[in-house]
Amino acid sequence: MANMNLYSRGDKLFVIVNMVLIGLFTISTLYPFIYITSLAFSSGFEARAGNVVLTPVGFTIEAFKYVLADPQFWVSYKNTFIYTVGGTIMSLAFIIPGAYALSRQQLYGRRFWNLLVAFTMWFNAGLIPFFLNMRDLGLLDSYFGIIIGFAVNGFNVILLRNFFESVPQSFEEAARMDGANEFQVLWKVYMPLSKPAIATVALFCIVSRWNGFFWAMVLLQDEDKIPLQVFLRHTISTLSDDQEFGTSLLDASYSFETVSAAIIVCSIIPVLIIYPFIQKYFEKGILLGGVKE
Amino acid sequence: MSGVSLEGIVKAYGAVQVVHGVDLEVQEKEFVVLVGPSGCGKSTTLRMIAGLEEISGGDLTIDGRVMNRVAPKDRDVAMVFQNYALYPHLNVAENIAFGLRIRKTPKDQIDSQVKEVAGILGLTDYLERRPADLSGGQRQRVAMGRAIVRNPKVFLFDEPLSNLDAKLRTQMRAEIKRLHKRLGVTSIYVTHDQVEAMTLADRIVVMNDGRIEQIGTPMDLFLNPANTFVAAFLGAPPMNLVNATMIGDNLAEFNGQTIELPDLADLKGSVGRAVTLGIRPEFVEVADASVANQVKIDVDLIETLGSEALVHASLSDKPFVIRTETLGKLDLLDNVTGFTINPKLIRVFDAETGVALPGQVHEQ
Repeated sequence: MANMNLYSRGDKLFVIVNMVLIGLFTISTLYPFIYITSLAFSSGFEARAGNVVLTPVGFTIEAFKYVLADPQFWVSYKNTFIYTVGGTIMSLAFIIPGAYALSRQQLYGRRFWNLLVAFTMWFNAGLIPFFLNMRDLGLLDSYFGIIIGFAVNGFNVILLRNFFESVPQSFEEAARMDGANEFQVLWKVYMPLSKPAIATVALFCIVSRWNGFFWAMVLLQDEDKIPLQVFLRHTISTLSDDQEFGTSLLDASYSFETVSAAIIVCSIIPVLIIYPFIQKYFEKGILLGGVKE
Repeated sequence: MSGVSLEGIVKAYGAVQVVHGVDLEVQEKEFVVLVGPSGCGKSTTLRMIAGLEEISGGDLTIDGRVMNRVAPKDRDVAMVFQNYALYPHLNVAENIAFGLRIRKTPKDQIDSQVKEVAGILGLTDYLERRPADLSGGQRQRVAMGRAIVRNPKVFLFDEPLSNLDAKLRTQMRAEIKRLHKRLGVTSIYVTHDQVEAMTLADRIVVMNDGRIEQIGTPMDLFLNPANTFVAAFLGAPPMNLVNATMIGDNLAEFNGQTIELPDLADLKGSVGRAVTLGIRPEFVEVADASVANQVKIDVDLIETLGSEALVHASLSDKPFVIRTETLGKLDLLDNVTGFTINPKLIRVFDAETGVALPGQVHEQ
């Protein structure tokens, strides 16, 4: 480790403190995930007794059997997929052209439009007006309402706009000289160059859609349209009510804790699967070599 | 006729005018270089021709058609950018083919055109590489390939060599010249480097402060600069400018020394008139103390460049540079006290306006 001599004692200390902090952060993020997974595979009795800490106690898959046997679970799972895929596509379809337009110097009233978008990040209409608005538009209890109602998020628009602004203007000019129209400049030049930023925005959309709970609960009454998170909420409240009144249908092999944990584990799996595919787009230096600064 | 015509072209940003009524006729197949210092409006003028900047006034005609309101893609011009502007997500072949694909050219035609252009530019072995994996010179070639593959009416070059090192710049300069000879496409080239301008141009347009100072062939501008700006801008080192006062019809005085000038009608009977004398560093003969009728200078430094040397001196408290051969003159160079010059090689400018006096034409 001769190279270590290049670093002063202060540098080494800095690295060590960083590693400790990052380690603590990783553990604090990872632990709930490990705990919930262990809980899902533990017996109901042990879970109720609070004996699960790190690994499953009284290993069983009864909780999963219970969850997977419920047809409502599959309905809500399908709904979550619809909201996530449809919502993300819809969001990108609005956010990408919107952010591109806002990034253009030649956009008439550019400052005003940008301010208008930023404004929505600070202030919004509030719960009741938004609900009434959705009701008046006939968007309650509808897939389309959830998909279109939350399609555009000011933060994502500004995030992508800033990235588009950082792309050297000469790419646009070269494409225009090559015969591209505005749409082709966006589609064939800016979008491929902005993959990391678009992947980030897409991931934000996917995660927020997948975990979307509050508005779905407010806007959806129809059991056939609720997403997984609302189903989870229903399950938790139903099971805990049953237990409180001493009329639990649950035996010792699963409990309301293990069933909730099993639903959470099932809901995490798709995000875990998708993330590695999106992560490859978080490449650095995609603009490297295109222009000489 | 793929000529380009600029008539009274004006560019203004709000109240600020940066190009003031430029008139220029570029003939078909001609290679015209716009040259001038930073901020003189040369790039803005080029970008107006390209369609990347709106024209605030005047008329731009390409191939006989007024183009003021025509989109860049419909002007049939191609541009090579200073920073290459290669699409980093596409490989060399895709970069070159981009414009053809946009125009929906049939695939087999694209392939053959890309191959042909890659052959011309020596890029055949690099077609699969991304721009990041290329050297500066190769990137610049790809940028040129992207321009020539479309076979446009006009090529526009915006300081294409300024990001290359000196050796590569010289090499690419020659390649551009060869390419122009081979393709014969009307070309307009912007640079601040007067060596590029002198070597590449059929005609040079010297710009300053949003205006054209002079248009002419490289040698014409070198020998017959219209004013002190052009005189001081072209040439390396540039022309020496010396302030003097007329003391006879063809005799001027400065700092207690006299110098004989060419016979010019404008100078007859103009004793007392202030003039500026333009003396090219290459046109003087260095002299030691033994030479009569020499103009004395204070030698400060001699830079020997091999076959030639630059004598840095001062005259009337201003820098004065002489470029001279070294072979057979090394002893003389150690004892330089002044110089002599054929009066016909001195260019005389009006001291107030900086404009060359009429009647001075050096044949090439």
